[in-house]
Amino acid sequence: MTDDTNRISRRTVVKTSGVAVAAGLAGCSGSDDGSDGIQLLHAWSEGDGNAAIAALIEGFQEEHPDIEFSEDPVDGAARSNLDQVISNRLQSNDPPSTFQTWPGKTLEKFGDAYADIEGDVWNDDLKNNYRSGPQEQAQLDGTYVTVPINIHRINNLFYNTAVVEEAGVDPTSWSSPSDVVDGCAQISEETDAVPFAHQTSSAWSTSQLWETVFLAMAGADGYDDFLNGEGDESTVEDALANVVELEEYFPGNSSSIGFTEANTMVQEGEAAFIHQGDWAAGAYSGNDSFNYGEDWDYVPYPGTSGSYLLNMDSFPYFDDNPTPEDTKTFLSYCGTTDAQIRFNREKGSIPPREDADVSQLNQFQQDQFDHFTNADAQPPSIEHGLGVVPQVKTNISEAFSAFIESYDAGATAGDLVGAFN
Amino acid sequence: MRNPLTVLKRLVSDSGDARTDGGTASSGTSLLSRDSIRSAPFWLPPFLLVGLFVYGAILWNVVLSLTDFQGLGDPNYGDLDFENYVVAFDGGTPSWTDYSIDPIWNATQNTVVLMVAFAIVCLALGLLLAILVDQQIRFENTFRTIYLLPMSLSFVVTAKFWLYMYDYNTGLVNIALGAFGFGPIEIVQNPDLKLAAVAFALIWQYSGYAMVVYLAGLRAIPSSHFEAARVDGASTIRMYWRVIIPQLRTATVSALVVLVVFSLKAFDFLFSMYGGYNPGPSADILATQMVREAYGNQNWAYGSSIAVVLFLMALAVVAPYIYSQYRQGQL
Repeated sequence: MTDDTNRISRRTVVKTSGVAVAAGLAGCSGSDDGSDGIQLLHAWSEGDGNAAIAALIEGFQEEHPDIEFSEDPVDGAARSNLDQVISNRLQSNDPPSTFQTWPGKTLEKFGDAYADIEGDVWNDDLKNNYRSGPQEQAQLDGTYVTVPINIHRINNLFYNTAVVEEAGVDPTSWSSPSDVVDGCAQISEETDAVPFAHQTSSAWSTSQLWETVFLAMAGADGYDDFLNGEGDESTVEDALANVVELEEYFPGNSSSIGFTEANTMVQEGEAAFIHQGDWAAGAYSGNDSFNYGEDWDYVPYPGTSGSYLLNMDSFPYFDDNPTPEDTKTFLSYCGTTDAQIRFNREKGSIPPREDADVSQLNQFQQDQFDHFTNADAQPPSIEHGLGVVPQVKTNISEAFSAFIESYDAGATAGDLVGAFN
Repeated sequence: MRNPLTVLKRLVSDSGDARTDGGTASSGTSLLSRDSIRSAPFWLPPFLLVGLFVYGAILWNVVLSLTDFQGLGDPNYGDLDFENYVVAFDGGTPSWTDYSIDPIWNATQNTVVLMVAFAIVCLALGLLLAILVDQQIRFENTFRTIYLLPMSLSFVVTAKFWLYMYDYNTGLVNIALGAFGFGPIEIVQNPDLKLAAVAFALIWQYSGYAMVVYLAGLRAIPSSHFEAARVDGASTIRMYWRVIIPQLRTATVSALVVLVVFSLKAFDFLFSMYGGYNPGPSADILATQMVREAYGNQNWAYGSSIAVVLFLMALAVVAPYIYSQYRQGQL
């Protein structure tokens, strides 16, 4: 009897584990074949980005209730992780409908996988209403393959007005990067605040600071030459030397803090300036006692007032698309003012369309939009992947991770100009 | 329902006559009654799975490293050469890209320095802690747990934690240095201290592990050895140096292997500490360079060849251990 019971239970165990193994294997092979909706992969799994993508999809579904959506956030380390997922899926010939990516030269990474959407999506309406800079970034070797949804500006200098006034400096009167260094010296003398809040635990903040200073020194044409691999090494080095001068005014613990901590220093009045993309302002808008025009203000980084240094997100179209028509409908929607206002209201950036009605955006965004529509040049950011191909971007990132160790302007200038070889 | 193997065995063996001599069996029966075959349902599936997914993947990676695979698409296995290894050692511009590629020397040097420093200090510290904890002290279990606890943290937590510890303004390390009249000093991005700072944090995390391994080793030594050494008039230092530590050889080797493998995996730590796979030239290790080449630049084949170098380094450490275990008949 006992023996029997044992045998039954053993059999049950075998059966159960068999079923479990089968289920496990099924889980391995299972894919999203079940759902036919648009597969939109993105890394906006929290914060303003998450609110923005939710608002965008809500707006799309109001207009197209018949089109299903299987939105797929890719959690983890933001964009690099997302790119790995896309890369793996493309290797196995299973691309999603679209995903969040930087436009411009970053598109070369998956270049062959994209398809032309001129006409279907990039019709005359879009071509007439996107400014030339963003429109250029939507193309890969002259072919329209992606739809930019927003623009973050990189060349901003934000400041805490109380600290700046206490020191008696007036950033609005500055016209060159060296004025920033002089101003920081004055802040350092007159107040207890850190003059220039900046993080150096990773290289990206310093890289985008350099590209802003370089844009100021070389002008939009000189900047463009650099992107074409013909940068003037002495100007590159001058810009780096300016960053080295600024380094004296970084927080002492800049290598242990991240962007959020640096930005908080400005809000708390512990620091005067911060150079950042306009997502820094997004953090201020969540702070009720820190208001635009009163407690904080900004200027285009001195020397770059005629330029709008672009960082954009976009949704490209894959050739081997699982939902061709629905994806095109979605991308067309992303090109509308309605979509761009919904998205950017949450994201804190501005719409790429010139005809967007920005009255629904906050005052800071409206001012930025005003700058954008009046900007003479809209150069693409290097650090944010628009201006250079991924291999060059990696070389530049390596150069800056060495720069923030040693602050050797001469060696780094050689590395930066050599990054294109 | 009978065990299918038994049924199968009967089907084969029933064909023969019953044996009375207890000797010569037919070859079919003998094959099926071998222990190795009878136990196949237990060892074969895991053997095949491990073979395919571990050793098969390693082999595939080696083959991949001989191709020119870059970007999207499929690797071309028809054209294999050692170009990637030449590039890895000499640098230059390989045939599959327009850009010059960094050689691996800098990362290899950092990897070896990190590995050796981390392993040796960890073992020394672990041994010291084990000897101290082994002195029949009060709260022995508490101390043991305290020393071992950091190991339960993930590299991500440790990295963020040490980023604060090394903070120039408020970090405990700089405050401690200040108490002795030094500093404060820049640590996290200081090219001279970066790698040492990483090694120190890893030592903090893993010396507890070395302690536990040594403690087990110490407990396995009969107390008569201690007593005999004492009776013969050995001092404490001499007793440990001449009698006890030589008996900890096995413990040392097994702890060493685990520690070295951990140090090769310091990627997570650097990734968290420096916000990505670009920790800068003075802390760049093979693992970060591998990921940068493979996923940042899509130089898959070149990334694979770095992985092979990393694998050989791990093997160089593990293989002598496995061989000595084999020699002692423990495998």
